Amino acid sequence: MFLEPQMNADERRYKHKRNRTNAFTGIASASPYLRLSAFICGFILLGCANEIKTGKSTALSGIDLIEMTDDMAMKIAGDADVQTEMAKVGPLKIVVEPVENEMTAEVLPRGPAEAFTGRVRSLLSKHDRENYIWVMNRDAFYRMRNQELDFDLGLSPDAINPQYALTAKFSSLTDENAKRRSAYYLCVYQLTDLTKRRILWTDKYEVKKATVKGWLD
Amino acid sequence: MTEASSQQPEVRSSRSFRTRIGCAFIWLLASGFWLLVLPSTGCGPTKREIKADHAVRAYMAGDFDVAAVKLRELAEEKNEDFVLNNCRLGSTTLAQYHLDEAEAAFLRAYEVINSVGVNDGGRSLGAVLVDEKIKVWKGEPFERAMTSYYLGLIYYIQQDYNNARASFENALFKLRANTSEKDEKNDYASQESNFVLATIMLGKCWTHLGRDDLARANFDRAKQLRPNLHEIVDLQRNKESNILLVVDFGYGPRRATEFDGSIVGFKPTPDEAGMIPQPLVMVDGARFPLGQLDIPTIDLLAMAQDRRWQSLDTLRAVKSAVGTGLILAGAYEGMRGAGGHGSGQRRDLTAAAILLGSGLLLKATSQADIRQWEMLPRTTFVIPLKLPSGKHDVTIDFPEVGGMRQEILGIDAPSSGETTCYIRMQRFRNEPIYWPPGGGDVHSPQVDMASSPMR
Repeated sequence: MFLEPQMNADERRYKHKRNRTNAFTGIASASPYLRLSAFICGFILLGCANEIKTGKSTALSGIDLIEMTDDMAMKIAGDADVQTEMAKVGPLKIVVEPVENEMTAEVLPRGPAEAFTGRVRSLLSKHDRENYIWVMNRDAFYRMRNQELDFDLGLSPDAINPQYALTAKFSSLTDENAKRRSAYYLCVYQLTDLTKRRILWTDKYEVKKATVKGWLD
Repeated sequence: MTEASSQQPEVRSSRSFRTRIGCAFIWLLASGFWLLVLPSTGCGPTKREIKADHAVRAYMAGDFDVAAVKLRELAEEKNEDFVLNNCRLGSTTLAQYHLDEAEAAFLRAYEVINSVGVNDGGRSLGAVLVDEKIKVWKGEPFERAMTSYYLGLIYYIQQDYNNARASFENALFKLRANTSEKDEKNDYASQESNFVLATIMLGKCWTHLGRDDLARANFDRAKQLRPNLHEIVDLQRNKESNILLVVDFGYGPRRATEFDGSIVGFKPTPDEAGMIPQPLVMVDGARFPLGQLDIPTIDLLAMAQDRRWQSLDTLRAVKSAVGTGLILAGAYEGMRGAGGHGSGQRRDLTAAAILLGSGLLLKATSQADIRQWEMLPRTTFVIPLKLPSGKHDVTIDFPEVGGMRQEILGIDAPSSGETTCYIRMQRFRNEPIYWPPGGGDVHSPQVDMASSPMR
C-alpha cells in the first residue's frame, strides 16, 4: 500500500492553493460553453441598451442631396448656353420650384423637395452672386409670411416677374418583394426660359439603390 | 490512523460535493439557464408601457388631447417601440386634425419600416434567445401597410397628391413584401385583394393628377377584386366629387396568445366581431342617398386571419413544444429518481434537473411579442359626395351602434377640387367638428425639415 508522505503546514497550504487555482482555471478552460454564454449575454445586453440603429433604405439620402446638387450647380455654372444668356440679358431672374415627386412608392416631403433645388440656388449664389437674381417661390413666400417672421421678406413674388425657373422632377422605378427592395432614380433638373418656353439647360442625376432584407426586416 | 481514516472519506465527500455544485453551476451557466432571469424581469409592464397603455385608453375614450400629450414623449424615445409609438401618435394627432404632427410621426415610422438592418446586432439574437420584445417593432404587414396608407391620407387631405400617390403605392408594396415566391407567380392578386382601400385611394390620386388612364386602371382593379365597390370606384363620380368622407370605424385585430403565452393569433375573427354596421350620411339635416357608397372597403379582422404574417411564430411554437417535451421527460426522470437509490438515483435526479431546467428555459423564452397598434380601425368607409358648392353641415351616424354619431359643421364644398374630411368614429366623443378643424387651413402643409426621411 502506498502511503502519501507526511506534509508540513506550508506544503499543505501550497497544495490547497494549487487545487483552488486548478479548479478555477479548470472551469474556465474546460467550459467553452461558459465563455460562449458570457459572450452571448454581453452581446444581448449591449444590443438591448442601444438605441435603434439607423437602418439602410432605398430612399434618397443626404449624401445624394450633396452629390446631386454639387453636380448640378457645377454644370449650370459651366454651361455655355447659360453663359451666353447671361452675357445677352444680364443677371438671370430665376424662381426656384420644389422638386416634383414622380417617384414610385417613395415619399418626398416638402422640406427635402425644396432642399434639392434650394441647395443648387445656394451654391450658385455663393459661386457667382452677380449673375443671378433669385426670386422666392410664391408658396414659400406666403408660407413664411404666414409665420409672421421678424425679418422683411421683401417684395411679393407677384410684384417681381421671374424670367427663368429652376425645376426638378424625380422619378423612380421601385420594386419590393419578400427579399429585397430596389429603386432606380432619375432626377432631372431644368432651367427654363418662361417667356420663350425654352429649356435653357437640362441635366440629370441617376442612382440605383438596393437593400436586402434580413431575417427580422 | 483510525481517526485519519475515519475522516478521509468525509473530506473526499465534502470536496466531491463542492465539485458537483461547481459542475452544476457551470452547467446552468453554460446551458443559458441564466436567460430565465431576463424574461422574468421583463414580465411586469415597464413605466413606458404603462404610460403607453394610459395613452391608448385615453384614445379609446375619445380623449385625444390626453393621449397625444402622453404619446409625444414616448414617440421621441429611440427604443424598440419607436415605430409603434409614432404610429400611435400619428393616429391620435390625425384624429385631432394636427396634420403636420401626424405627418411627422407617420414619416418617422415609415422611415424605419422601409429600412433594413434596424434589428442587427444584439437585438436579433436577443429576440430569439430572450424575448421577442427586444426587437424593434415594425408591425405586421397590415400594420406597415396602414402606416403608409395614413401617411398617404394626410398628403391627400393636404392635396399633395404626388406624395399621397407614392404613399399608397408603398402601402401596396408592404403587402407584396410578405408574399412568398409561390404567390409571386400569381401576380400578387390575392395579396392585394385584401387592401383594396389603397388601390381606391391610388386611383383617386391619379384622378387629381390628371391621369384618368391610370385612375381608371386602379378603379378597374379595385372593382375586379371587390365588385360590390363599383359605385365607390366609379371614375366619373370621383372626378365630380367635391367632398370626400373617410370614416374609420371600430377597432382592428388584437394579438392573442395561448395558455402558455407562445402561439400568437389574431382576435376577434370577423365572425366573432359580427357584421360591420352601415353608416347614414345627413347633409344639412336631410338624409343623403348613399346607394352602395356605404360599403366598407376593408376588414382588418379578415385581413389578419387571411395572411401569413412574417413573424417568429414557427420558432416560438417549436421552442414551446420542445420545452413541454423536456419538462415531461424531466418529470419522468425525477419520479424514477425519487424511487431509486445510490448512484443511479443521483444520476436520474441530475438528469431530471437538467431536463426540467432546459424545458423551463425554452418555455420562458418562447413568450410571444404582443405589442400592437391598438388605434387601427376595423374598417374604413370611403364616401365621395358631390354637393352644391358652399358650406354644409354633414353628419355621419351609425344607428345600429348606439351613440356613434359625428357632426361636421360648416364643411366647405369647393366648386372645383375636393375637400377631404377624416373622421374617427368614437362612441364617447360626440362634440361636433367645426370646419376647418383646429381653426387652420387643412390644405396648407408645413413640414418640418427634421421629419424628412433623408438622413
